[in-house]
Amino acid sequence: MDLIDRYLTAIARRLPADKATDIVAEIQDDLLSRIEAREEALGRPLDRREVSALIKEMGHPLIVAARYRPAQYLIGPDAFPFFVATLRIVAMFMVLALAVGAGANVIFGHVPLARAFAQSLTGLLSSAMLTFGTVVAIFYALERGGFPADHLRKWRPEELPETRDKQPGAWGSAFEVAVGLYAILWWCGIAPLPILYTNVKGLTLVPDPIWTGLWWPVLALMVARLVYNVVQWLRPRWKMARGVLSVATALGGLALLAVVHQAGHWISMRSATMSAHELLELDRAVNLGLGIAIIVVGVVWVLQCAKELWQLVRAR
Amino acid sequence: MPNAEDQFEKLRIELRRGSLVLAVLGALREERYGYTLRQTLDDAGLPIDEGALYPLLRRLEAQGLLVSEWREEAKRTKRFYRLSADGTETLATLLHEWNAISESILRLTEKDA
Repeated sequence: MDLIDRYLTAIARRLPADKATDIVAEIQDDLLSRIEAREEALGRPLDRREVSALIKEMGHPLIVAARYRPAQYLIGPDAFPFFVATLRIVAMFMVLALAVGAGANVIFGHVPLARAFAQSLTGLLSSAMLTFGTVVAIFYALERGGFPADHLRKWRPEELPETRDKQPGAWGSAFEVAVGLYAILWWCGIAPLPILYTNVKGLTLVPDPIWTGLWWPVLALMVARLVYNVVQWLRPRWKMARGVLSVATALGGLALLAVVHQAGHWISMRSATMSAHELLELDRAVNLGLGIAIIVVGVVWVLQCAKELWQLVRAR
Repeated sequence: MPNAEDQFEKLRIELRRGSLVLAVLGALREERYGYTLRQTLDDAGLPIDEGALYPLLRRLEAQGLLVSEWREEAKRTKRFYRLSADGTETLATLLHEWNAISESILRLTEKDA
């Protein structure tokens, strides 16, 4: 009886307190009934080894107790494909965000490549565990809230992407999102991409006041572009939203570029070691390059906007 | 790759899983407690693991298909189960469905029989 008591106590520990007594009493009765039947068949009492074998047949206490719980799994078979798809997207974004961060550290922070790689790898492992846990917790909560039954009831075949549409590559889109997010973090002064570049022969690049005045519009444009990239990546079938966002960001960007271009001068040079003439020449060359870059970016945005509009019109 | 025997065993378990509820409801048209119910199913060729039977009985009771009561018998208190009114109705519907499935399968496989 000692073995049976130990077994039943092990099960009871893992059961909801309000049901434990009732459940355990039933299991006990079953075990005793089986022992009695076996003893009757053999014509003698069972020894300890035989009782142990009989208990083992009943199953491990953890499994027996778990069968009485309403939730038998963390994420059910219906939600599992959505869980895997989400995890894939999150993993891609995480890898790319860390790669962009490492790249920025190498290029702008002058961190050796091997160290930047090692830092990213360490960051990736801890982030991966945290992210995996978070996604599991979210899906656990969603499943208890009725997902994906509601989603599966509402989805329509018409919402699927058209076969003739070229789907943007998932890695390319994820990369754009990662870069966009990093750019926003840098613009807000959170990510380590220095706005004052001070590492070459005491040369300091100081952004002109035009940038301070345009801080909010630039941030708004970056956020809108990030939203566009996220939609393009995760909801490519939202053509109208993509078109509107593309045109809006292109027009907003062009307006900003026009204002920026009108300033005519965007970065000033300061150096304690260079002569005034050298500084002037460098200043002229850098600002000329920036001026050309602004025009090129403007042309690219106009072309992108035209392409998006054309695709939008063709799709209607 | 799983061998043919393992594969068959998995398919067999899957096939049986759905029919066990029907078997339990059918057997509980007559009042029984867990151990005798398991024996009845075993004798009928549908053995069920006790670790699965008792949680199933509780689930069916929670769904209103069974009723139970603790009573003393042979010097021990036992929990007796029987079909409720809702359970009787559900059993009839499930049996109708079961027969329809069985007929469909027979029609589909009669050439192979």
